[in-house]
Amino acid sequence: MVETLVNILILFIGASVVLYVILGGADFGAGFMECFVPKHLKAKQREVINRAMGPVWEANHMWLIILVVILFMGFPKAFGVIVVSLHFPLVALLVGIVFRGCAFTFRHYDAIKDETSQKIYSFFFSLSSVWTSLWLGIIAASLTRGLLTKNGKDAFEIFLEPWLGVFPFVMGLFTLAIFSFLASVYMIGETKDEELKAYFIRVAKRLNISLIVIGGLLFLSSFLEKRSLIQEFLSSGFAMFCLVLATLLFIGLWIRIKKDSAWLLRVIAAAQVSLILFGWFSITWPHLILTKEGAMSFYQAAAPEPTLWQLVMALVIGSGLIFPSLIYLIKVFK
Amino acid sequence: MSDLLAARLSMAFSLGFHIIFAAIGMTMPFLMSIAHYKYLKTKDENYLNLTKMWMKGVAILFAVGAVSGTVLSFELGLLWPDFMKWAGPIIGMPFSWEGTAFFLEAVALGLFLYGWNRMNPWVHWFTGVMVGISGFASGIFVVAANAWMNSPQGFQIEGGEIVHVDPFEAMFNPAWLHQSLHMQVAALQAVGLAVAGIHAYLLLKKKSKEIHQKAFVIAMTLAAVCSLLQPLVGHFSAQRVAELQPVKLAAMEGHFHTSSQAPLYLGGIPDPEKEEMVGAIAIPGLLSFLAFNDFDAEVKGLKEFPKKDWPPLLIVHLSFQLMVAIGSFLALVAVLYFFFLYKKSFPPWFLKACVLLSPMGFVAIEAGWVTTEVGRQPWIIYGFMRTSEALTNIPGMSYHFYIFLFLYLFLGAMTAWLLKRLVQHYG
Ligand code: HDD
Ligand code: HEM
Ligand code: HEM
Repeated sequence: MVETLVNILILFIGASVVLYVILGGADFGAGFMECFVPKHLKAKQREVINRAMGPVWEANHMWLIILVVILFMGFPKAFGVIVVSLHFPLVALLVGIVFRGCAFTFRHYDAIKDETSQKIYSFFFSLSSVWTSLWLGIIAASLTRGLLTKNGKDAFEIFLEPWLGVFPFVMGLFTLAIFSFLASVYMIGETKDEELKAYFIRVAKRLNISLIVIGGLLFLSSFLEKRSLIQEFLSSGFAMFCLVLATLLFIGLWIRIKKDSAWLLRVIAAAQVSLILFGWFSITWPHLILTKEGAMSFYQAAAPEPTLWQLVMALVIGSGLIFPSLIYLIKVFK
Repeated sequence: MSDLLAARLSMAFSLGFHIIFAAIGMTMPFLMSIAHYKYLKTKDENYLNLTKMWMKGVAILFAVGAVSGTVLSFELGLLWPDFMKWAGPIIGMPFSWEGTAFFLEAVALGLFLYGWNRMNPWVHWFTGVMVGISGFASGIFVVAANAWMNSPQGFQIEGGEIVHVDPFEAMFNPAWLHQSLHMQVAALQAVGLAVAGIHAYLLLKKKSKEIHQKAFVIAMTLAAVCSLLQPLVGHFSAQRVAELQPVKLAAMEGHFHTSSQAPLYLGGIPDPEKEEMVGAIAIPGLLSFLAFNDFDAEVKGLKEFPKKDWPPLLIVHLSFQLMVAIGSFLALVAVLYFFFLYKKSFPPWFLKACVLLSPMGFVAIEAGWVTTEVGRQPWIIYGFMRTSEALTNIPGMSYHFYIFLFLYLFLGAMTAWLLKRLVQHYG
């Protein structure tokens, strides 16, 4: 029974991660895109971003909360290790989240819209979007480096070692690239303005290429960790399948990108990113985290059965309430 | 600063900050919906403008509430990993329901904020109500989690392991009802009062009278009704605490020696050395009555408990007195308000008083939480786990504290500035 419950929870974790990335991630990416937009398109792009993101802003970020709740209620042993050994990056992440959430809302709802304050909000919004994406990637990579530990001896072991390295940093860049790739593709369909649309298409293509390049770097940098991602992917049929399919989908994307098929493009991009996540998930399977003391699987980290039951119930009933309302939200605005 | 102190202060600041926005998030949607409803019914543009003015405030405040809440959901683990590892499976349930409620709230908020002219007006109105209902529900859930820390149940310990977990029983622990009830009334009361104060200020400045008159009446009526209820609800809380956490009650009241016909002290400072209250006015028998509805009932004193189980006496006593003083005073203000409402005119001095009183509800909320939380010390889970045992083994907690202190001060200042601009703009 416990195993079935854990399996259901794993599905929910997977779904939350995927939805956080493909929905919330695009919001981060939009912040990054504001960094390099040409001057004359700046105002227009900001318009599009506000219109597209405003209604879903709060909802998109709830996936992260759901994840935290599932982790501490359902997998307390792993949660205990994560919060101790990733204290530093988690605090950095939180600081970013705070600035981002505020900057975005303040920019939109400040009653007096003068140039200076709008500029400052935008600056913080972009900066914190980049900052937070990097840390999200770093945290994701750190879970699987095998350097997490609750028993660090000195400041280095406690605060830095678990996450400091080239590989996590490249993962941070990769995350940023994924997020902004998604944002650019989503935004193509959000505007009727030809110039802006052409710009989004250009950006989407460039980000697509960066994504592939950084992905390559990620494989290379894994050697610095004395592991080989290539091998890990090769040894899992499913992971290989995901990787290949995600790459093939790029062709579809490039073919369709000029045509007027906004939704199809969105679906392709989201599917690619989901496949990448599935692949990543399957090479660490069935481990939730890798610590210095050894790997901890979902099953080892799980809470007692009654708790798992309640959690699954809450999630199932919660989904029954959340998904219809979420779909309604998207219907009204898209 | 010791790591333990820094962690406790971090927690206190985060929660003390978040609760302000949480209370607003639970109350403003209802105020907004009332104004919105009146607009839909009467088509009086004043009500529409009022709804939109409040809505802008809500959007800003909600964002701050959401980010500070996100920080909290991590911080529980970051600061007290062993508490969360231990308690997570037991009290995760209210948190998971809270998560669901937040989600609905966030969706409803998106629909409400951006849905003007895109939906059927009444469906749109309903999304506003939904924001309030889900915010209210999440407040109840999270307070139920806190109540569990005060009266833990729903698990057993065998050989250091937690067994027989019953999340349902844990959530509906003996303290959940009085704490949730008291908190929810407090939120309505405090926010109603604060909003009324802002509109009283604008009324006094003689700006666009009608809209602010309407706003003042909506908000102050809510605040006044709650102010009349609150002493009763608070009294119910005190009785529950007397039963569930006698040492907390004794600390709140500065009651050292077990006695029947226990006196209630007004003011005064507890002296832990001499074990008596200094400079307090004693009303004989009243504590016995308040705690157990019987002037002769025996009330346990602090001396019944080992000193290492005492909470910090001074803080608990003073904050409790502050809350009760404000609560009693606000009940009087409420009576006055209904008198003037009945007369259909508010004299300027009363409006001025309302301006001055506007932060008082929030002060009482903070004082109340300090009473509850500091009064639980030295336990993080009353009777089971000490706060010191739950602390993370990570050093340098004071940096954590300073980072978040700075962040909250900055955010608080920003928010105040934005609200000032909002009021300026609409004034
Ligand atoms: C507007 C805010 C407000 C006002 C006017 C009052 N309270 Fe309060 N009080 C709270 C806001 C609050 C609170 C912040 O909501 C607390 C903290 C934890 C809780 O459950 O409610 C609280 C806690 C709290 C507790 C401790 C509960 C516990 O630890 O379980 C007691 C005994 C009282 N209150 C009693 C009173 C009395 C007798 C009042 C008389 C008028 C009163 N309160 C007014
Ligand atoms: C929002 C209103 C709340 C306020 C203002 C508040 C206030 C405080 C304060 C002042 C402390 C420090 C006490 C001390 O160490 O002396 C504290 C500690 C703590 N609170 Fe609360 N609290 C609130 C709600 C909650 C809730 C809902 C929870 C959990 C579900 C919670 C969990 C904790 C924990 C885990 C600690 C740290 C351990 C401890 O000091 O006992 N609090 N809080
Ligand atoms: C340990 C304690 C707490 C945690 C972990 C926590 C967590 C959160 C989180 C994650 C959010 C953001 C939700 C969103 O994005 O929509 C939030 C907002 C909110 N919280 Fe808390 N919270 C705590 C204490 C409280 C307390 C004590 C109350 C009320 C009694 C409360 C009421 C609310 C409300 C109404 C919101 C809605 C957002 C807003 O209106 O600003 N929370 N909280």
